[in-house]
Amino acid sequence: MDALLSGQLLVAALVTGALYALTALGLNLVYGTMRLLNVAHGDLVMIGAYVAFWAFTLLALSPLLGLAAAAALAALFGLALYHGLFRRLLAGGKAAQRLEANSLLLFFGVSVIVQNLMALQFTATPRGYQYLDTVYRWGNAAITGNRVAAFAVAVILCGGVLAFLRFHVTGLAIKALIQRRDAAAVVGVNVERVQQLALCLGFASAAVAGALVSMTEQISPFMGFPFTIAAFVVIILGGLGNVTGGIAAGLLLGVLETYGVALTSSAYRSILVYGVFVLILLLRPQGLLGGRRIVR
Amino acid sequence: MRGALALAALALAAAALPAVAGDYHVGVGLGLLMYVALTQSWTVLSGMTGYVSLGHVVFYGLGAYVAVLLWGEAPLAAIVALAALAAFAFAALIGLPALRVRGPYFVILTFGLAELAKYVVIVVEGWLGKFSRVIFGAPDIETLYYIMFGLAAAATLMTFLVRRSRFGRGLLALRENEEAAETVGVPTVRFKLLAYALSALIPGAVGSVMVLRQTYFEPAQIFDPVVSFTIVTMAVVGGSEDMKGPLLGAAGFVLLSELLWANAPQLYMVLLGLLLIVFVLFAPQGLSGLLPARRRTP
Repeated sequence: MDALLSGQLLVAALVTGALYALTALGLNLVYGTMRLLNVAHGDLVMIGAYVAFWAFTLLALSPLLGLAAAAALAALFGLALYHGLFRRLLAGGKAAQRLEANSLLLFFGVSVIVQNLMALQFTATPRGYQYLDTVYRWGNAAITGNRVAAFAVAVILCGGVLAFLRFHVTGLAIKALIQRRDAAAVVGVNVERVQQLALCLGFASAAVAGALVSMTEQISPFMGFPFTIAAFVVIILGGLGNVTGGIAAGLLLGVLETYGVALTSSAYRSILVYGVFVLILLLRPQGLLGGRRIVR
Repeated sequence: MRGALALAALALAAAALPAVAGDYHVGVGLGLLMYVALTQSWTVLSGMTGYVSLGHVVFYGLGAYVAVLLWGEAPLAAIVALAALAAFAFAALIGLPALRVRGPYFVILTFGLAELAKYVVIVVEGWLGKFSRVIFGAPDIETLYYIMFGLAAAATLMTFLVRRSRFGRGLLALRENEEAAETVGVPTVRFKLLAYALSALIPGAVGSVMVLRQTYFEPAQIFDPVVSFTIVTMAVVGGSEDMKGPLLGAAGFVLLSELLWANAPQLYMVLLGLLLIVFVLFAPQGLSGLLPARRRTP
């Protein structure tokens, strides 16, 4: 019981939660503005992790700088997908109807392609590196420097995006698009441009989360799917399109997972995450914090 | 008529295969029949109602698990039948809440359910102190081949009959517009549930046969999401509007996997993903829809 009350677990839960919050923030922006469920979202986390890994091992570039490269690459990937797959289809009425139903299969195809191309290129062997691994003690909690850094960056970026959405005119346009797409177009929001921007921002935040994950855990081409599932749990819990709710829900999932595993054993981690996911969809698809109901 | 003749010729060729071919080719044929049975079953739910299941491996895995638990305790025919019934019952149970969720959410829900089932079976096997099981005295490949032949034929017949029935028309109606179908008197909840359970029935039996063929059971390998993904891709590429589509899709991909899987599994998966995207975007009716249209049979 003592172990449960220690600061150690709380710190671990907060770090995991902050990374989930950042990942889910990206999924929320893409879903909110385009109404497309991106099941390849976790693969962007994976790509970000690989960019940071190679930048560190080949160029000796700190992952804290490598994450900028990861963000830029993911944003470019988002633009390419937008122009290659989705733009024409989002514009047309009938095609868009078909697209919405099929977008998940498209993203799934993208996910399978990305994972296997990465495995072809870099083998499926997990990789890792050591960075900022000094242990800091703080009360009865011990924490490595890379976790502190990952937590700090995730919190700063979540805060930054929230502030951007609240105070900047483009951020407000994104929020307007999330809330009422037609009305946003009527009051002069350039829907297409804002969608592209939100897509880039969403992809970039997933990649940054991946770069941060690579500092603390081993990475592999197939690491992405659990992040996709976690991000789905978070945005459904927080209410679809509700960015602030998503950040709170990310922290909540981090706490739930860390304490759940501590109470049982790590063999139950996947059961816990998938179990919460299935239960949420079956029992409370409108989310714990209210918000928009998904189509039922 | 020509369609029926072609189908009869195909069935005859499949039935004669073990007499003329060696074990290797019988094995390939077994894989082909397996995917015909799985994909035909899948279309009863996903082709006809539009509820796309990306987790059909859960029924296959459940059937395999039933077979492993019962092997040596019951005769082969009973095991296959019980595996099918277990999958049917599981689908009927889980379908009631799951089918309330629609569209893309249903798709990821089915995927999540299959993964959840995989990890639950892994933990249960851990409690039982078994991390993988070996099956001794499994039937020879020809016996398994003929059972699978029967399952593939049954699945094909099932889609054919469902399509012609009142039930099938009800499913098509609810795919186009669920509220409207409900209004004109289609019992949507009951029909969806029955379609889900029927689409699970034969995959359960297929799982029991395949685990006997592999002679060992390891949950992470049996509940492989690649199976679900392959089923969906075969149906999308082949087409799920008639019973021809799954046959075309299964044949094409089994051939492709023969060429690539052993040497370049990742390349095979990349091609699978590419074909899925191309067909979803440009030919949603699949190969079967691209064939020159003849007189439409009902």
